[in-house]
Amino acid sequence: MNSNQTKLKLKARSFMILLAFALTCLHTLSASNFVTKPIRGKVTDEKNQPLIGAVVQVKGTETAAITDLNGNFEIEANENDVIVLTYIGYDTQEFTVGSGNDVFFSMKPSNAQLDEVIVVAYGTQKKRAVTGAISTVKGDQLSKQPLLTAVQGIQGLAPGIQVVGSSQPGTQPRVTIRGLNTILTNENPLYVVDGILTDDITNINTNDILSVDVLKDGSAAMYGSRSANGVVLITTKKGASGAPKFSIDAYTGFRKLTNLVKMADRNEYLTYTNEARLYEGANSIPVFDNSANTDWFKEISRNGVLRNINLNVNGGTGALNYLFSVGFLKDEGVIKGADYNRITIRSNNEFTVSKRLKLGNTFSIGLTDSDNKSNGVFTDAYRASPAAPLFDTKGNYGYQPGLSAAGNPLANIELQNDFSKALRLQGSIYGDFQLVKGLVFRSSLGIDRVNNTQTIYDPVYGYGTFKKTVSELKSSEGARKYWLWNNTLNLKTMIGDDHSIDVTAGMSSEQSNDYARQFRVANVPNQENLWYLSKGDPSTLTLLSDNGYLLRQSSIFGRANYSFKNRYNLSGVLRRDGSSAFPKDKKYGNFYSVGASWIVSDESFFSKGLFETLKVRLGVARLGNDAISRLVSNELSALLSVTNTSPYAFPGGLVQGITFDQLKDAAATWESTKSIDAGVEFGMFNNKLLGEISYYNKLTSAYVRVPTPSFVDPNGILSQAADVRNKGLELALNYRKFVNDDFSWKVGINTTFNKNNVEAVRGGIDLKEGGLGNGEITTSTVQGQPIGSFWVYDVVGIFQNQAEIDASAAVTGTLPGDFKYRDVNSDNVIDERDRIFAGSYQPKMYYGVNAGLNYKSFDFSIDCYGNRGNKVYNGKKAVRFGNENIEASRLDRWTATNLSTTEYRASNNIPKPSTYFVESGDFFRINNVTLGYKLPESIINNIGLTNTRLFVSAQNPVIRKKFSGFSPELPGSNALNSGIELGVYPTSATYMVGLNINFK
Amino acid sequence: MKVTKIIASLCVVAFLASMYSCQKDWLSPPPENTLIATDSTFNDNENAQRFVNACYSQLADWQVSVFSWTGISSIASDDADKGSDPGDLGTDKDQMDNLTYGPTTLSITEVWNGNYIGIGRCNQAIDNVPKFSLPEADKNRLLGEAKFLRAWYYFNLVRVYGGVPLITRVFDAEQAAEISAAYTRASEDEVYNLIIEDLTSAAGTLPAKGTQAQGRADKGASEALLAKVYLYRKNWAKAVELSESVINSGIYNLDADYAGLWRQKSENGSESIFEIQGQNAEDGWGIGGYFVHQGARGTVTDGYSGWGFNTPTTDLEAAYEQGDVRKDATIYKAGQTLWDGAKVGTDVANPMYNYKAYVSKNQENNYDDWSSGKNIRVLRFAEILLINAEAANELGQTPKAIDQLNKVRKRAGLGNTTASSQNDVRNAIWKERRVELAMEHDRFFDLVRQGRAGAVLRAHGKAFVDGKHERFPIPLTQILISNGTLTQNPGY
Repeated sequence: MNSNQTKLKLKARSFMILLAFALTCLHTLSASNFVTKPIRGKVTDEKNQPLIGAVVQVKGTETAAITDLNGNFEIEANENDVIVLTYIGYDTQEFTVGSGNDVFFSMKPSNAQLDEVIVVAYGTQKKRAVTGAISTVKGDQLSKQPLLTAVQGIQGLAPGIQVVGSSQPGTQPRVTIRGLNTILTNENPLYVVDGILTDDITNINTNDILSVDVLKDGSAAMYGSRSANGVVLITTKKGASGAPKFSIDAYTGFRKLTNLVKMADRNEYLTYTNEARLYEGANSIPVFDNSANTDWFKEISRNGVLRNINLNVNGGTGALNYLFSVGFLKDEGVIKGADYNRITIRSNNEFTVSKRLKLGNTFSIGLTDSDNKSNGVFTDAYRASPAAPLFDTKGNYGYQPGLSAAGNPLANIELQNDFSKALRLQGSIYGDFQLVKGLVFRSSLGIDRVNNTQTIYDPVYGYGTFKKTVSELKSSEGARKYWLWNNTLNLKTMIGDDHSIDVTAGMSSEQSNDYARQFRVANVPNQENLWYLSKGDPSTLTLLSDNGYLLRQSSIFGRANYSFKNRYNLSGVLRRDGSSAFPKDKKYGNFYSVGASWIVSDESFFSKGLFETLKVRLGVARLGNDAISRLVSNELSALLSVTNTSPYAFPGGLVQGITFDQLKDAAATWESTKSIDAGVEFGMFNNKLLGEISYYNKLTSAYVRVPTPSFVDPNGILSQAADVRNKGLELALNYRKFVNDDFSWKVGINTTFNKNNVEAVRGGIDLKEGGLGNGEITTSTVQGQPIGSFWVYDVVGIFQNQAEIDASAAVTGTLPGDFKYRDVNSDNVIDERDRIFAGSYQPKMYYGVNAGLNYKSFDFSIDCYGNRGNKVYNGKKAVRFGNENIEASRLDRWTATNLSTTEYRASNNIPKPSTYFVESGDFFRINNVTLGYKLPESIINNIGLTNTRLFVSAQNPVIRKKFSGFSPELPGSNALNSGIELGVYPTSATYMVGLNINFK
Repeated sequence: MKVTKIIASLCVVAFLASMYSCQKDWLSPPPENTLIATDSTFNDNENAQRFVNACYSQLADWQVSVFSWTGISSIASDDADKGSDPGDLGTDKDQMDNLTYGPTTLSITEVWNGNYIGIGRCNQAIDNVPKFSLPEADKNRLLGEAKFLRAWYYFNLVRVYGGVPLITRVFDAEQAAEISAAYTRASEDEVYNLIIEDLTSAAGTLPAKGTQAQGRADKGASEALLAKVYLYRKNWAKAVELSESVINSGIYNLDADYAGLWRQKSENGSESIFEIQGQNAEDGWGIGGYFVHQGARGTVTDGYSGWGFNTPTTDLEAAYEQGDVRKDATIYKAGQTLWDGAKVGTDVANPMYNYKAYVSKNQENNYDDWSSGKNIRVLRFAEILLINAEAANELGQTPKAIDQLNKVRKRAGLGNTTASSQNDVRNAIWKERRVELAMEHDRFFDLVRQGRAGAVLRAHGKAFVDGKHERFPIPLTQILISNGTLTQNPGY
């Protein structure tokens, strides 16, 4: 039995009880009065492996049994009774009790595409009945990768989902579903972990995940004002009936920097810098010593250890199913001295009190302990002079005289003391109560509580011009207190044989209360055990920040699914959300979706030629995004609030100023997205080839800052003054071939074409951003272009001599060897009117390729991801403050003797933003390669093990990119600033070995 | 079944409770950790002071008094060049230097925005201070300070842009239409009328220097600024009257040490009438960037280096007479050892820098090169003497003018002026203003006021167009915000 099937069963079990109830509800006949006899039997799959937890029921009665670990069951029945056998993912079977007592069943996998049960908002559905676009990824596809969060593992596995991860330990990836919907806020989807709504899933151990279901369109509408960016439903594992099963999953490996940019060495650096200084009439730059040639990236980085071990126990007695797991993750990262440790503990239990009542809980504890090192050190390493030594002869830090920005990158790491710790409790208790047959009430109370602390200590130090004369301790604490109460009623019933109805209606209330504060004190001894505020000079104790935020939401929602002959499906969703984040007259919003699907292949006229199964679907929706309210805290709801201005330094000391924020958009409300989705799902060649084609078109009314006269509000007011459209096409094809028991293989490809376009920017607003921190901006967002398009000068060549400069439009101070920019409007002046649009970070296409094979005891898989048609801006190269190091690519620069036509002269000037720095964002990456070997049962059974596998795996072993920088995956702070590599964080590859052990 | 009943009633309770939470009140909690206007803001009298503090803090703002302001008030004139490395344009300082700026130039936009933020805060203060239950004298003092500052912001705007929208009230959330209606240009006369009204009111209510808290606007500052405004209005009689009121108050005198005027020791000293306060070495608040954008670009041993902008011109250097102590107090050079022992390297990007913006790393208290503690001198007694001289001369009181002029010259180490005719004395005063007030953000506006900006700046090699360059363009962003009701200045 391969591991996929194991997981399938695991998934199946979690729905077992539900299904059993559903079945008991559907039929009302009471048990017959005939004399019964015990029927014993065994249920296996098509490969004669026992099926555990299959439901065996006497048709028309509530008599039911569940198969045990060996697939065996026993049930009381009469002769001629019909016994129904159900198992998720397999065709339901019926048989009539004969004269014997022993029976044997071999069940066949059902139509895998249409009868799979998937998780949807506030419930589950058969894929057949779903009318929207939902992508599902199983937990085992994620847990094989060394990942902090599950979403990183989705990358490339399903279309329409763009995931941008980071090599930085403890960081959650950025996820964009079906194109960028929003301008100021980030585009991350809503995460729902076992019913709890959150935006941070770094506390969820990937090994605890059963499945991840991504709602990409109107299927998310049940989450109303948080649905427009899509919803990711994460379902954790539950206990399965049977004796306790112990398993251990562990891996160890290391991270290694890859794809570093080649920098200039000492001599190249000095030659270049002095050449640049010569143009300015400046003397040669002084050097620290005569020999240092430092590779700063090497000095600050290392191969960081990555270690993960998980222990899982689960089982069940029928009435009580339990799961306990504990996991430990250590990720040192690639910067020397950094360290991230996470412990996760989970307990998911479900207690069937009676046939009508079920109680359960999901509960997790996450503990993190992190020794942080600033990412900025990579940027320092990029900028630092290779002619500066690591240390001088006395052991003090070396540095480059005359270069102020970077200092000594190693010192920056070693002098940084930054420790953060967090405790997170997340979970819910719930009860399912069957009021009458087919009508189930569920109440669920969830909490999510985070407490975190951070200690930052800056010691006294001094080397060269870099010094700190007074030590400083910053201590901060924060908490997030969140609760959520859901109450839902679910009615599932059949009217006659053909009409199936599934209605869910519910209410929810939520409250989230955050606070964070930070204190500072000076003159604290440099001893870790004394890093307390009380150990500093009390007169210097300052409250640096003190923030609090309260958000309340209350909602009612409902969904009605109607299905005729299991073939024609209609679905309607309505949600009304109320939120404290918006002004008094705008607190409520309505969101909806309507969808239909048709199983064409179930029609009698459909002849199963090429297609085994065929489903078409169509849906429209109005979805919301409330992220703006979290971005600006109380700005939208408190219309006239008191703002602290900068203090003013009167001779007697600083005084505080206040003023009123005068004007707000009194009509502020949710960003809304209107979407349409149409899709075809099909199975071919006996369903060995499964495919899906979807079209979507979404129009979002997005917030931007609308400038107002500055006596009103210098920052402008937030208003939905821009419309953004994303339309695209998704394709997915998955082929599975089961050759024989020893050999099977699969291959899948998926691709998404997206066109992002700003449809309107109202009021003549100037959306220019992408600031490089040197006074230059690089992006402009205007009608007819993608969000955050690069807006730069067009380099047409290099001025070879003064005569050429004199004869052309040129920027002030241009010398031979500088860029010649195109005078777009031919007015003989190079100014902003000569900028052109040069593409954007938004990809036109992204894709995933996955393949796997099983041969005897070996399994192999490979997952790849790529991205095409976007641009990135080499910001760090465009920001070279005088005398900083250069990339080796600059060595072939223009000189009086090397008349380059592409590389400009050595220069300490701030360059104009230009097409020179705009590069292709195309890349292709092998996300993961894994080779596994299952130990022979004959050997391991003797030591009490079963189903035990060894594997080796590599994450990101190969990255192919056109960009000359470190990484083309640059989501930026928001859409107006994305695609700019300004700060450096190189990508890393991970290599590891691991072990999955199951105890007998 | 008993359990069933309990469960069922729990279900009902659950539903009722969640319906309760749908109520609107529950969704309208008071905003956490945020004061709103209806709160107890007006019960705390300290807040009255804070509304006025906010008017001051905008003086120290980057947009109002630093890089962009230097660009307009100094680099555009013949006192200063762009400076820095040839290729470092400081965003647009090449345009400021060459008079090629336009409606989208950042410096033009920032000075507009910064001063209107100040005006917005002054309007808030003037609107809110009366709502506190303070003694009338305190209220009047606070209102006087806010009016002085509003006048200062408008004086900047009217000198740079000409007639600008005259905003004297606050707007609230429902009044978007009224804001648009108010956002049209008033005439230059109307703006000056408000300035004169505000300053006259402030001069009547503010205490004199010594009784007013240090650093705050006082009676002398109001009168001095009003005298300067009347000079711009060519109201010579009023200019004489007000400058004499300042002179006769006996509070101010010329400091014997001209070079020392720009050091920390003489901040708010006897010659000082009004300064923008930056004194804070501890917490990093000061006039952020004021020093560093003008500091020597390159090595400065035992001192801070800077970005090297706003460098004195050779024309300015040549304007000083032989023996004028003010030249070396205004200009420092590459390779020079400075008053505090710091040594400017020979590798610096420019031959000369602005000494009046220099801060000492080793002799004065500064947080760092960015948050330096130096005050910006806005009004000095020497200028009042020159205003008095100029206005008196225009009224035909030339001997009195010569007398005042000579006081200023004497302190500079120079002999009496040789000018005697009214016209010669006028020119001598203008020249004296240039060297006395060099690099003090006055030169460009002085030239325009004197009606000779075109002649002087063209002679200096700038492509000054009469009828255009006397005013800077209205920022394009503001014209867009106003939906076109703001009209552009001629020539742009």
